[in-house]
Amino acid sequence: MSNKIKKLDKLKKYATYAILIFFALINIYPIFWMVMNSFKTENQISINSFSLPKSLMLSNYTRAWNAVSLGRSFMNSFIVAGIAVLITVSIGSLAAYFISRFEFPGKKLIYSFFIFGLLVPIHGTLVPIFILMRNIGLVNTRASLILPYVAFNLPLTIFILSSFMKSLPKAVEEAAIVDGAGYLRIFWSIILPMTRPALATVGILNFVYNWNEFSFALVLINDNKLMTLPLSLSLFSGQFSTDYGMQMAGLSMALVPIIAIYLLMEDQLVKGMSAGAVKG
Amino acid sequence: MEHIYKHKKKLIYLGILPAFLLYLGFVIIPIFISARYSLVEWNGFSPPSFVGLENYAEMFGNNIFWRSLKNNMVVVLASVLGQVPIGFLLALLVNQKIKGRHFFRTIIFMPVVISAVIISLVWSMVYNYNFGLLNNILSFVGLESWIQNWLSDPDIAMFSVAAVIIWQFVGLYFIIFLAALQTVPDEILEAAKIDGAQGWKRTLYITIPLVKDSILAAVVLCISGSLKTFALIYVMTNGGPSHATEVMAIHMYDNTFNGMKFGYGSAVSIFIVIFGIVLVTIVRNLFAKFGD
Repeated sequence: MSNKIKKLDKLKKYATYAILIFFALINIYPIFWMVMNSFKTENQISINSFSLPKSLMLSNYTRAWNAVSLGRSFMNSFIVAGIAVLITVSIGSLAAYFISRFEFPGKKLIYSFFIFGLLVPIHGTLVPIFILMRNIGLVNTRASLILPYVAFNLPLTIFILSSFMKSLPKAVEEAAIVDGAGYLRIFWSIILPMTRPALATVGILNFVYNWNEFSFALVLINDNKLMTLPLSLSLFSGQFSTDYGMQMAGLSMALVPIIAIYLLMEDQLVKGMSAGAVKG
Repeated sequence: MEHIYKHKKKLIYLGILPAFLLYLGFVIIPIFISARYSLVEWNGFSPPSFVGLENYAEMFGNNIFWRSLKNNMVVVLASVLGQVPIGFLLALLVNQKIKGRHFFRTIIFMPVVISAVIISLVWSMVYNYNFGLLNNILSFVGLESWIQNWLSDPDIAMFSVAAVIIWQFVGLYFIIFLAALQTVPDEILEAAKIDGAQGWKRTLYITIPLVKDSILAAVVLCISGSLKTFALIYVMTNGGPSHATEVMAIHMYDNTFNGMKFGYGSAVSIFIVIFGIVLVTIVRNLFAKFGD
C-alpha cells in the first residue's frame, strides 16, 4: 500500500471518530447537563448552568417526588404496562401459534388483517375510544388504558411471534402428536418454551411502548391517583414550569428505569423496534 | 396429518378469537366510527345531528387547519431530509471496523426509547432563553447575536421543535440502515474496490442500490411517524405561540377535547389517516419509477 493511501485511510478514521463523537455528545450532553443542574439551587442554575454543582440540592429531588407523586406514577405505569404486556403476549402468542403452525381457511386473510394494524395511527381512534370508554363507564380506570394498549400492540406482537414460530421445524410437534398430545399441550410445553427469545423481544418492546404512551393516557385519565408517569411528568410543563431545579430532578428520576431497561435489554429492544419499523 | 388438523378447526378459530376481538374492537371498528362521527355536529353530550360533509368544508376553510397542515409538512420534510441522511451516514460510519462500535450504537439509539414527554421537557430547558444550554453555548463561543427565544418566537419555534423530532428518531433510522448494511456481502464491496470504485462512489453506486428497500421503508416510516407527532409538541409548546407549532394531531385534539367539537375533530383525524395513505402511496410510486 502506498504512503498516500495509508495517510488517507488515517484521515478517514479520524473523521469517522470525530463525527461519531460529535453525535454521541449531542445525544448525551443535554441529559448530562440536566442531571448536573438538578443538584443546584435555582440561583446557581441561572448564574451558570455549565458549572458542576457546588452543593447537592437533594431537596429538589424530594420536592419533585412529592409534587407530581412520582412514586405513585411509577407504580401506575408499572401496573398498566405490566398487565397489558401479559395479556398481549398471552393472547398474541396463542393467535401466532395457530396462524404460523396450521393450515385453515382464511389464514392469510386473518394474518394480513392483523398486520394492517401496524399502519393505523392512534389519533384516528382516539375520539371513538374515548366515547366508548365514557359510555361503558371506564374513563378514569386502569382498564381504559389496558384495553387499547393490548389492542394496538397485537399486530406487532403477532408479526414478530408468528415469523419466529414459522421458523421452528415441523418435526417437533409431529412427534408429540403421534404421542397423543393435544394442540394446547404442544403450544404450552413445546412451542412456547422454544419461542422464548422472541417472547422476550415482544415483552420488553410492548412494555416500553406502554410505559411511554401519552395520548390515550391524556384523554382517558384525569384522576391524579391513576396518572401514569408521562402524564404526571407533563404537569411539570404547566403548574410547576418555573421551578427548574425540581423539574430537572423529577426528569432525572424518571429517566432511571427506562435507561436501565434499555441498557439491560438493548439487543431485544433494538431488534424489535427495527423489525416493527420496517414492516410498518 | 391433514385429518387431525381439520378435526380441530374449531379450536384454531377459538384460539385466535381473543386477539381478533380485542384488535377488531379497539383498532379497526373505531376508525369506522371516526368516519361516521366526522359527518355529524356533536358536542359529545346532546344528540348528534347529521351535517354531511360540513365538518370537512369547515376544516378546509379554517386557516388554523392549513397552518397545522403546513407545520406537519415541516415535520415530514425535516424527518425525511434530516433523519434519513443522518441515520444513513451514522450507519455507514459505525458499519466499519472501528473501536467502540457497540458504544456508539447504544448512544445513538438511546433517545428512541425515552418517552416524548421527558424529551420535550428536557429540550424545553435546553431552549430556555435565560439559562438554557443552547444560548449558553452560543454566548460561550462568542455567537451572542445568534441567541434566540427558540420556542416563543413564532418565526423559529416550528424549526426548534422539528430539530428535537430529528434528534429523537435519528437512532431508529440508524438502526434500520445498520441492519441493512450488514446484509451487504463483503465480497461485493471488495470486488468494487478492485475495479477501482473508491469511497463515496462505492457507497453511491454499490451500497445504496443494494439497501434501496430499507431506504424506502425508512422514508415511509418517516412520513407516517411524522403525521402522528403529538406528545412532543403538546408538552413543549402546546401548539403555540399563537398556533405557530400546531400540527394536525394537536389541531384535532384541541378542537375535540377543549372545543368539544367531536364531529370536526373526527373529520381532522380521518383527514390525517387519508393524507398519510396518499403521501405513502406517492412515495412508493416515485421509488418504483426512479428507483432503478
